[in-house]
Parts: sequence; structure tokens; C-alpha cells
Amino acid sequence: MAVAGQECRDLWLSGRGPLLLFAFSLLLSAFTYLAATNQAINFLEQREAVNLTLQIAVAVGVLVTLLVSADGISGERERGTLEGLLLTPVSRRVLVLGKLAAALTVWFATFVVSVPYIWVLGRGVSVVGQALLLSLVIGTVLAVGLAALGLLVSGLSASNKVSIAVSFFILLALFAPTQLPGGLPKGWFGDVLGRLNPVGAGLHYPTAILVNGHEWTQDLNYLIAPGVLVVLAIVPLTLLSDRIVQLEPGSVR
Amino acid sequence: MAQPNLRTRQLTKRFGTRIGVDALTFDAERGEVVGLLGPNGAGKTTTIRLLSTVLAATSGDFSVAGVPSSRPAEVRRRVGALPESAGYPRYQTGLEYLTYFARLFGHNRADAIRLASGLLAEFGLADRAARPISTYSRGMRQRLGIARALVNDPDVVFLDEPTLGLDPAGQLQILHVVRDIAARRRATVVLSTHMLAEVEAVCSRVLILDRGRVIKWSTVAEVTAAVGAPRSAVIRVPLDQIGTAVEAVGALPGRTVSAADERPDALRVTTTGSSDGMNAVLAELLRASVPILAFEVEGTRLTDAYLSLTGDAGAAADADTAKGAP
Repeated sequence: MAVAGQECRDLWLSGRGPLLLFAFSLLLSAFTYLAATNQAINFLEQREAVNLTLQIAVAVGVLVTLLVSADGISGERERGTLEGLLLTPVSRRVLVLGKLAAALTVWFATFVVSVPYIWVLGRGVSVVGQALLLSLVIGTVLAVGLAALGLLVSGLSASNKVSIAVSFFILLALFAPTQLPGGLPKGWFGDVLGRLNPVGAGLHYPTAILVNGHEWTQDLNYLIAPGVLVVLAIVPLTLLSDRIVQLEPGSVR
Repeated sequence: MAQPNLRTRQLTKRFGTRIGVDALTFDAERGEVVGLLGPNGAGKTTTIRLLSTVLAATSGDFSVAGVPSSRPAEVRRRVGALPESAGYPRYQTGLEYLTYFARLFGHNRADAIRLASGLLAEFGLADRAARPISTYSRGMRQRLGIARALVNDPDVVFLDEPTLGLDPAGQLQILHVVRDIAARRRATVVLSTHMLAEVEAVCSRVLILDRGRVIKWSTVAEVTAAVGAPRSAVIRVPLDQIGTAVEAVGALPGRTVSAADERPDALRVTTTGSSDGMNAVLAELLRASVPILAFEVEGTRLTDAYLSLTGDAGAAADADTAKGAP
């Protein structure tokens, strides 16, 4: 608790968290404006506008969370503050979990910021509640998985720049296919690819419910990839924390 | 028989094929200040990181206050360390910083604040307790770092170049703190430094490393005596007495006399062997009725011994720096 609390204070009182949140708010404002005007001239159906905004809010919120976590270990190393933490009896597992918890506060903050945007766009078609719940659930699962992945990358990277660049690339590689004109390639291969990509699959799930009107239980298999991402990132992060949280990346303690 | 406060046996750390520390073996007692010396890359920082469990040893073991290195979390409860290039969170205040670390050592919030306030007062930082660390001078940060190393009231304290970059007043302040930790808290202090004058001032024993190996482990006096390092001094006498002085000192065995840096009224006397070599020189001058206007020992005996033991260019440069130290 002490580690997570201090990490949160560092994040939010240093100005890093508020700055990222401000940038997120600006982006979401611009995007919501575009969605609202497209909706006004009938290019977008209202449910689609809500879904589109939700997807951007989740994707960017998760990106910001990933970037914060990517700074978690490599940043401490470069600032010379990691050794002090390693001198305490707190286990390295607790340190990484504290950092993970702090990074997740960024996701929850971006979610809170996105609430009024989704509420404004979704008025009158009774999807606001569903959209917010979907955003919270899918976003949290993706944020946990990607923040843990970011910490793994951070622990193994030679520098903070490398860590942030690699993490950004990972998210881009996962998110870009969902934004291809016409979507993923059709057929079984495209379907498998879509289901394997945790970000793509995660973002497909709310689309199926909000836009296509599917039941919540109908497309649950799209949540397998995000769930697997969480397991694949959290398990090594906690089990290998002694090897990941090192003064020199990749060295054996 | 009571176990030494800090005990290492054949402690070795390899980084691939490179040796960081090789078969380090020594014991240190409570209240003792041990100087950790060696040229750059000798393994001083690696030694501190091994003994504070930040790094795991390749082989060998050690114990702190009887706690074996096989229980690293418990060892960390008994050691405090100021790393060589310690960073500080810019936005935290001194009080928040120490409170946080006290909490990491298991204190509840109220106790942690009380402890942090006490340490800040002890290290002369009470009036800056509520200011961000980014506003602290380097000396204040070093004192804050040492205060952090003491939040758990450790049995052994490791200080890695604590006076680096400090002005003379700051260096003296830190040395006073080092003595105080050993004397009042009865902790073993391991002081890694290039400033040999500091070692002579505060350390009871020295551990000299070179390329990861221990090349000397004994008291300062034993190190200098064993090496039998030459020692020099500049002696200023009246100009008209210079010939008499050269004659008197030159007659003494084991001393060489030369001119001192274009100063016609000064002699440089170099002596080897017994520790009272310079006393005999001064006595001889007085016997010859030569007034002594100034007498200045060049460098320190430990510097000479250190250079003789390590004998590399890097060490010489380090020792030159040390000559300017208080």
C-alpha cells in the first residue's frame, strides 16, 4: 500500500499525470466534436458515434497507462532512485505491483474524463449506461494487461527511451489493425487475427453490443485475448520480478 | 565469542567473464569506520551493492549482525546505504521522502513521520523539511541521503563517495556525521572514497581493492608501515642558512634533500623507513641552530602507501585530488 500510494503521489503531484490527462481531454474533445458533427449531418448513426468515442477513449486511455508503466522501472533507473528502493526490505514483487496500481490510476482517470463525452453523445438512445460499463470493463482489462506489459518492457529495456518507444510500438501494432479502412482482412484468417489481437478483440466486443445489438453473452470469446494478455503479462511480471527489477537491465541479481 | 558485526567470506561476484569482486574476506566490528579504497573499477561499489544485497554474489557469503546473506530481506533491515549516485524525487519534500522510506521499513504513518522529523533535525535539515528536494543543495541532499540510510537504525552503514562534489565545509560536515554514526549509534560504517585524507581522518582500518581483489586489509598505520612508503616534506629556512641545513639533513641516513620548486629558501626532504623520520630531520636542523620558518608534509602517508600498493595512473590521479581535500 505504501509503495502504491507513493507512486500515485509521485505520478499525480509531479504534474506528469495531470499533463497526460489534459492531453487526453483535448484529444477526446476534438474527437467528440468530430463525431458529433458527423452525427449531425447523418454520416454516423448515434450509436456508432458513441462506440467510436468509446473506442478512442479506451485506446488512448490504455496508451497513456502503458506509457506511464513503461517509465516505471527504466525511469527510476535513469533518475537514480531505484537503488534506494532496492535497499529496503520491500520485495521487488511488491514494488512492481505498486507501480502497476499507480499506472492504473491513469486509466481510471481517463475513464472518468470520458464519462461526460459519452453521456453527451449517447443521450436519447439509452446506450450511455451500457457504453460506460463496457468501457470500464474492457478498458480495465486492457489497461491491466498492457500496463503489466509496459513494466516488463521497462524492466528489460536498456534505457527509458527504448522502453517507451517499444511500448508505444506494441500498442500501435495492436491498435492500428482495428483502424484499417475496411477493417481486418475477411475470412477465417482475418477472424483469427482479430480474435488473437487483444486490443482489436477487446474493442470489437463493445461494437458488437452497442452497434450490432448483440447480447452481452453472444461475443464473449472476443474477451479471451484480452484475458490471456492479462495472464501472460501479470504472471511473468510477478514471478520474475527479482530478475526484472535490477539496477542493470537483464542482469542476474 | 561474539560474531563480528560485518563478516564476509570468499565473497565473489562475476559479471560474465569479468570479475567484479574476488574472494572478499574481512570482518568489521561495531563502532568501527572501515575505509574502502581502490582505483576506479576496483570493485568498491560492487562490494557495497553485494553487502547491501542489491546484487547477489556469485559465490561466498557474508553476515550482518549475525544475519546470513541467505536471508537478504532481513539483511536489508540491518543495513543502510547511501549509493554513489543516489537520485532523489524532485517533487517530494525531505519529510515526505524520509517518511516514505520509514514506512517501507515497516513503521506506521505516525511513527514514520516522527522518525523522519527526528532525522531531519539531527542532520540540520529541519527548516527545509517541507521544501521540495529539488531546492536542496548537493550537501543537503547528501545529508538527506545519509539520513535515509539511517531510517532503520542499521547495524552497518555503507557510504559510497558521500563527499563527492561537496565544498570543504560540506566534506567536513559529512565526516563529522560519519564519526557520529560509528560512535553514537555503534554501527559499522563502510566508507568508500577516493579522498585519502578523509580515510586518515575517520577510518580505523582500510580495505584496499584492486581489480576486485583485496590487496590490503589492516589499520592505516599498518598499511603505511608495511609499505614503507617514502614521505616528503618542504622545510623553509632563512636563505643564508640553506647551506647549513642541506649539510645537516644530508648527513642523516635514509634522507634525500633537493631544491623545492624554485624557492631558494626551501628544501624538499624525502625519507623512507621509520615513522619518526621527519622528527629526526627537524631535530638535526635545530641541533645545527637552523631556524625553521615553515614545515609542510607533502601529501599523506596513506596516499604514498596507496600509490605504492595500487601503482597505476588512475590511482595517482585520484590521490592527487585527495591532496586537495581537507
